[in-house]
Amino acid sequence: MPDWKQRLYRTFEANGQACDVDVLEELSTHAAAAYDTLRAQGRDASEAERRVDDLIDVWVREAADLHRRPKRASSIPPPAAGGVPLAGLMQDLRYGLRLLGRQPGFAAVAILTMALGMGATTMLFTVVYGVLLKPLPWADADRLVRVTETRQGRTGRVLGTVSNGTFLAWRDHRSTIEDLGGWLTQTATLTGAGDPVRVAIIPTTPSLFPILRVRPLIGRLFNEGEGARDQPGLVILSYGLWQERFGGRSEIVGHLIQFDDKPYSIVGVMPREFAFPDRETRAWTAWSVPPVTGKGGVLVGVIFRAMARLRDGTTPAQAAAEATSRARSAPDMGLAARALFGAVGAIDVSAVPELQAITADVRPAILVLLAGVALLLITATANVASLQLTGATTRRREMAVRAAIGAGQRRIVRQLVIENAIVGLCGGAAAVALAAGLQRLLPSLLPAGFPRLDAVALDMPVLSFAAAVSVLASVACGLLPGWHTRRVNLVETLSENGVAPIGGAMRSPIARTRTLIMAGQVAIACMLLVGAALLTRSFVSLIRADRGYDPVNVLTGRLPLPPAYPAERRSQLLEALLDRLRVVPGVTHAAYSTGLPLVSSGGFSAFNMRSPRNPDAEIEVQAIQRFVSPDYFPAMRLRLVAGRTLSDADTAATPPAIVVNRTFARQYLGDHPLGFHIPQRGPRAGGLRFTDEHADCEVVGVVDDMRQDSVDAPLQPEMFAPFKQIVPASIGNFDPILVIRTTADPTTYVSILRGLVHEQAPALALDSVTTMEDRVMTSLAKPRLYAVVLVWFAVFAVLIAGVGLFGVLSFSVAQRTREIGVRSALGAQVHDIVALVLRQALWIVGIGVLFGLAAALAGVRLLSTFLYGVSPHDPLTFIVVPIVIVAVAVIACLVPARRAAKVDPLAALRAG
Amino acid sequence: MVTSLLERELKRGSTEVLILALLDERQRHGYEISQLIEERSNGTITFHTASLYPTLYRLEEKGLVDGRWVERAGQRRRRYYRLTRAGRKALAKQRSTWDTFFLALDRVAGVRHA
Repeated sequence: MPDWKQRLYRTFEANGQACDVDVLEELSTHAAAAYDTLRAQGRDASEAERRVDDLIDVWVREAADLHRRPKRASSIPPPAAGGVPLAGLMQDLRYGLRLLGRQPGFAAVAILTMALGMGATTMLFTVVYGVLLKPLPWADADRLVRVTETRQGRTGRVLGTVSNGTFLAWRDHRSTIEDLGGWLTQTATLTGAGDPVRVAIIPTTPSLFPILRVRPLIGRLFNEGEGARDQPGLVILSYGLWQERFGGRSEIVGHLIQFDDKPYSIVGVMPREFAFPDRETRAWTAWSVPPVTGKGGVLVGVIFRAMARLRDGTTPAQAAAEATSRARSAPDMGLAARALFGAVGAIDVSAVPELQAITADVRPAILVLLAGVALLLITATANVASLQLTGATTRRREMAVRAAIGAGQRRIVRQLVIENAIVGLCGGAAAVALAAGLQRLLPSLLPAGFPRLDAVALDMPVLSFAAAVSVLASVACGLLPGWHTRRVNLVETLSENGVAPIGGAMRSPIARTRTLIMAGQVAIACMLLVGAALLTRSFVSLIRADRGYDPVNVLTGRLPLPPAYPAERRSQLLEALLDRLRVVPGVTHAAYSTGLPLVSSGGFSAFNMRSPRNPDAEIEVQAIQRFVSPDYFPAMRLRLVAGRTLSDADTAATPPAIVVNRTFARQYLGDHPLGFHIPQRGPRAGGLRFTDEHADCEVVGVVDDMRQDSVDAPLQPEMFAPFKQIVPASIGNFDPILVIRTTADPTTYVSILRGLVHEQAPALALDSVTTMEDRVMTSLAKPRLYAVVLVWFAVFAVLIAGVGLFGVLSFSVAQRTREIGVRSALGAQVHDIVALVLRQALWIVGIGVLFGLAAALAGVRLLSTFLYGVSPHDPLTFIVVPIVIVAVAVIACLVPARRAAKVDPLAALRAG
Repeated sequence: MVTSLLERELKRGSTEVLILALLDERQRHGYEISQLIEERSNGTITFHTASLYPTLYRLEEKGLVDGRWVERAGQRRRRYYRLTRAGRKALAKQRSTWDTFFLALDRVAGVRHA
């Protein structure tokens, strides 16, 4: 069979007629079909061929009409002129999807950028909402206030507490509040329910549960008056403990368990969702606040946490005023108050909404991070808008044609917004997935003790927020290019050839907008980088800070002793343990103490003594008081300032000796602290009974100050007394802390330590065994987290700015090809061309950095509360950050600059 | 001259309605259309294939028919045409015009139409 297509083509050509390929193909199928039919009708091949050739001749004669013309514009539905707003929405949506499908690279970059920005924002918002905004899980929780007492402006030794004097005085005469509840925090060994286990328990006043408006799952709550010292112990179990230890049996009420060997009768179980004050708490025991005047007129001082429920219509300020006035008329706690508050003087009580009180610690940091993430989101959105603007430049023809065939401004903008909404929603969905993933990791990312972690969830408010952010971001991205199409002129756009006039690269409004966006992105990257650098430097300063002791190569652990453990037996056990430890190879010093920085202060003492400066005057002393074994000083590497440290020679047979710290010496002892005698007799709070009861104790040495918790907390006066000289029973119950200095990695000694304890006392188990360095790092978990998060934000912002700059410059080089060609033709060298690109980049970066640094200078005020050892206006940071930004900019310039240098002037001019 | 112009217009108008009517049944390709017109008119309308394609393209341009290439297993690629919604409306209108036209012819010139 002949090749009809070939024949048609040749015949048309021979007659000087041209024909569309499409039409040619259609005619050839017709010719072939006609030929087949003729053959089927029995004609011979030459006859059939002749007849079809006749047909072709007819077509050639009519060739003028054989053209398929494009469909008329009327086949595009005209824009809905404001009538039906959603008409054509599906069409726009389909078009948008097709468009994105055609540019997978652009779609991926845009969606990824948005996902990153919105993912980080959504994640942080889950934390903001869950921790700071979500109401507490109690009924009318906005009427719950946390009560805190200060004396002469000083808070209790345990932050956020009240004294028993204040609590009782207010509770007995209250009018602004419904009731007041108080609680302590403790850990205790639970026995009588499976293997012994250390658990966190909360001794609480019976009034606390009614304040929270909660009911037990089974059994009952505590009744008013229960929990007094002479009454049998009562306990309410948490749901978790009930399930784990009692298999969720309902006949549990009345069952006995022991905490630290004291029996407690189970009265109820709380529901699964009940957690107070946190999820770690496994049980609540009945406790009553002791009166200030105890048996035999002894003054009793206790500090603990307290919460009140406001009466309807009263404000926290009214409650605080009432509490303050009641506290000031409460019985004087004397020296106990000074020991507990470090001051005696005017009492002030504050009442702060509970939600605010428990989040006060993290609120400023979360808000700063939220500001950081908002900047990141802005820069991510700006990046997508900038990409869209490039698209808008290349799509000007499309927009112009659409406008010419009747698409209104609103329709075109709507199309752009819809395209961006697709990007935004994809980004939003990816962001929610990202946030969901991160949220699972959250408990391991956030430091222990971060408040309200269990309230952090991807719930409706958070999802609505994510949806709102993605819609807003997409609208913002779409409106910008849409706004630029306002002025699209059909004739101009269609007649220009897509190449900018010489020197015109920055003159078009789109180019100017992109430059502005770019400068803004550089500014944001600059701000975030300054913040990240400051927090990182501050964190490094915190690690390197002089704490007064050396945490390297020190292993520590607590040895919980049952309250019934005999005091004499305790000393024997500890001394035997030290003897065994000292001979372990690699152990240089082993000691025990009642207190250790970052673990426990040990105890407080307050007493009066004559002034060393003026023997006639009496001064009021308050200090941290700890009992130590002699090796405590070398084990912690405390620096000796004067005299000597305690030694094994200080025994019950020698005169009582104490060592004080530099602050104690400066505050109370004057210039010659050594040899000063501190009286044992006279009223005092905080037991310190030497075996020689009548002798004064002599200050034998002064050591440098030691930071107890955070390095920026005020220094406290401290006294160290040797265990061997103290009447064991006078120390009371305490859990000794073991301190071991090693020559090698201290973690390798953990099993040895545990083994030795087990050997000496098989019934006892070590608690919280960890290195001193780990304790320091744990205490820095929050600053580290804030620094790490901000560093990530800054890295992303710099990356986004780098990619954005690359995009702007590449586009600009492409647009200026002709200009570059002309310049080369006129004699510009490669380095001139590269300089041209670099100049443009540095101009953008310069403006961005300038504004970024100015904004950072104004904004670092917000950061100043988080900074340690570095000024908010740290010169190094403000010098290095611009250098980093410029370095990134130069890297972003390399490829576009190379491309510009490679422009062939001939090709460029011909193309122009 | 006048007659030839009228003839041309008549032919053109009739070709359009013939094609639209055939496509009203189902989608068809060009050759099939030309064959059907010849068959159904019992060869009385020897329809010039020359005017078929320009007409089809014109109808397509007006948006009355929609043509697209279809490939079927064991067959050569063919361009099929189908009626658009606008085409269906146009066909209905043309049919009624032709009806009126034949009625008028009958009354005026005694030409009967089936």
